[in-house]
Amino acid sequence: MFPKRFVLKRLLLLVPVLIGVATLVFSILHLSPGDPALTIAGERASQEFVERIRADLGLNDPIWVQYIDFLGNVARFDFGESYVINRNTTVREVLSNTLPVTLELALYGQLFGILFGIPLGVLSAVKQDTITDHATRVGALAGISVPIFWSGPLLILLFAQVLGVFPTSGRISSSFSVSAIRVTGMVTIDTLIAGEWDMFRSAVRHMLLPSLVIGIYSMALISRMMRSSMLEVVRQDYMRTARAKGQGAKITILKHGFRNALIPVITIIGIQFGGLLGGAVLTETVFAIGGIGTLLVEAIEVGDYPIVQGTVLTFAFLFTLVNLVVDITYSYLDPRIQQ
Amino acid sequence: MSTETLTDGDGQTTSRGLVDRVRASPFLSRLLSNRLALAGLAIIVAMVVIAIYARLTLDLDVISRSQLGTNPNRAAPNLEYPFGTDGQARDLVPRVAYGAWYAMLFGTVTVGASTVLGVGLGIVAAYYGDITDNVIMRTMDVLLAFPSLLLALALVSIFPDSLGLWRAVAALTLVYTPRFARVVRGAALTVLENEYIDATVALGAADPRVLVRHVLPNCLAPITVQSTLNFGLAIIDLAALSFLGFGASAGTPSWGLMLSNGVSQGLLTGVWWWSFFPGLFLALTVLGFNLLGDGMRDALDPRMREAVD
Repeated sequence: MFPKRFVLKRLLLLVPVLIGVATLVFSILHLSPGDPALTIAGERASQEFVERIRADLGLNDPIWVQYIDFLGNVARFDFGESYVINRNTTVREVLSNTLPVTLELALYGQLFGILFGIPLGVLSAVKQDTITDHATRVGALAGISVPIFWSGPLLILLFAQVLGVFPTSGRISSSFSVSAIRVTGMVTIDTLIAGEWDMFRSAVRHMLLPSLVIGIYSMALISRMMRSSMLEVVRQDYMRTARAKGQGAKITILKHGFRNALIPVITIIGIQFGGLLGGAVLTETVFAIGGIGTLLVEAIEVGDYPIVQGTVLTFAFLFTLVNLVVDITYSYLDPRIQQ
Repeated sequence: MSTETLTDGDGQTTSRGLVDRVRASPFLSRLLSNRLALAGLAIIVAMVVIAIYARLTLDLDVISRSQLGTNPNRAAPNLEYPFGTDGQARDLVPRVAYGAWYAMLFGTVTVGASTVLGVGLGIVAAYYGDITDNVIMRTMDVLLAFPSLLLALALVSIFPDSLGLWRAVAALTLVYTPRFARVVRGAALTVLENEYIDATVALGAADPRVLVRHVLPNCLAPITVQSTLNFGLAIIDLAALSFLGFGASAGTPSWGLMLSNGVSQGLLTGVWWWSFFPGLFLALTVLGFNLLGDGMRDALDPRMREAVD
């Protein structure tokens, strides 16, 4: 049964958190040193231009008016216009161009993590305390310990520079133009929809190294969780009952163990999604992919505050949304936690 | 401790006392029988030794300054320069060693400050409950609603550039505090259910005394585990902020900045050693903390094995 009450409760609890998130982002602008209008206009701008920006940003209003306006705008997903990076373009537009890039990267990383992390975790648990298990566990810890901005460059050097197998940067070969076939903004999907096989191949080749780099971290976390969850489940009475009734070890582990052990892993997938988004920022920088992460870094450097606010809020909303979906899925799979 | 059974000199007496104490503590004996945790501890000790040695013997000015003309420029690792030299002919060995000092120093401050803040908030929230609890924990929820590196990036912009790595420390302290507050609040709530707390309160102990003398000591184990695991994360995040250009100022021998230079200037020209050695030391240090932290968590509660945060 779909847990309606639980979902409603979780949604209501979300409201204060989201208001808090918006408040924090609002305060960041006002706590930053210097006059935002001057930063945006640049040192040599005319007085009128600075004044115009100040009026545009509403910086002349009392702080509480600004705050209420800001909350209203956030609720309408309106973060104003970019001032430096993309003059006279709304932040929403800038985000709609860059967000799919980051999402694509994060999703492939996640996919990689799930595809390899879950089997590795099961293997490690089934072969508990053997060489396989030790190797997997140490490997997982190493995967968590290696920073993306080290593994990324090393993989680029090895595969792209030395072996020349994969491209070093970007999302697709520069001889292709993806803007004409844009549907979702994710190159691997757009090229597939358009049926452009050469472009699709190029996009996939470009995507492979970045998603490997970003996926190692999820893989490590997921395999650890899968292992411990599997070990927990194996000791349950129903497993012994199934075996006692004469069911084979393999079938018991797969049919009774695996499915139950998956439940806690879902939580980990939600928790590490935040890490994945942070990882996307670093991966985009290493592989020169123009996503929301590189956008944020640039916006902070040049002081494009509307972009900073819009980006950080979008990331926070996304993260919160993923965790909400995870919580709901979890409560659906394990109704005990609804109480 | 029974130390009287010993016949040897004084030095041995204390060591025997220590051994007995370790044996008596299930946590320590479990931890010390875990080879991976010991390996982690060894890595950390080695890095601390390198850090202190670098801080005491190396002149920061000399290793930050350009050595063009004195040293060979962009030399690949060789016998004289085992880690090679960078684009300003600086020997990478002392720079990487000094990076250990930065990582340990700023990591300690970040984790120390967020532990103190988080423990304080967590214990107060658990003890007073009601509105205090709600205000504190909902604020923590807001901070936890952001992906951590992105919140750190946004917060860094509040602090002036002149602070260098300290602004990364300040931002990360705010990002890490809620993790400690959550864990400590949970631990403190369990401790508060004990009868000795009721007894202490009934005897008329003031709130601070109950919190500091009775609640805090009984929460130390989860706090220590959390600090160790977050130490590794803090070192990575500090380096990440430097890598993205929001930490150490130019020329500083911090691992993150060296990696950033290596990637932006050296990668396509094939000078792999600029990023390889700083990154290797960074990864090893983080691995050390993760191995130790993992072992501590297992030792603390074998059933809780590997449940993240």
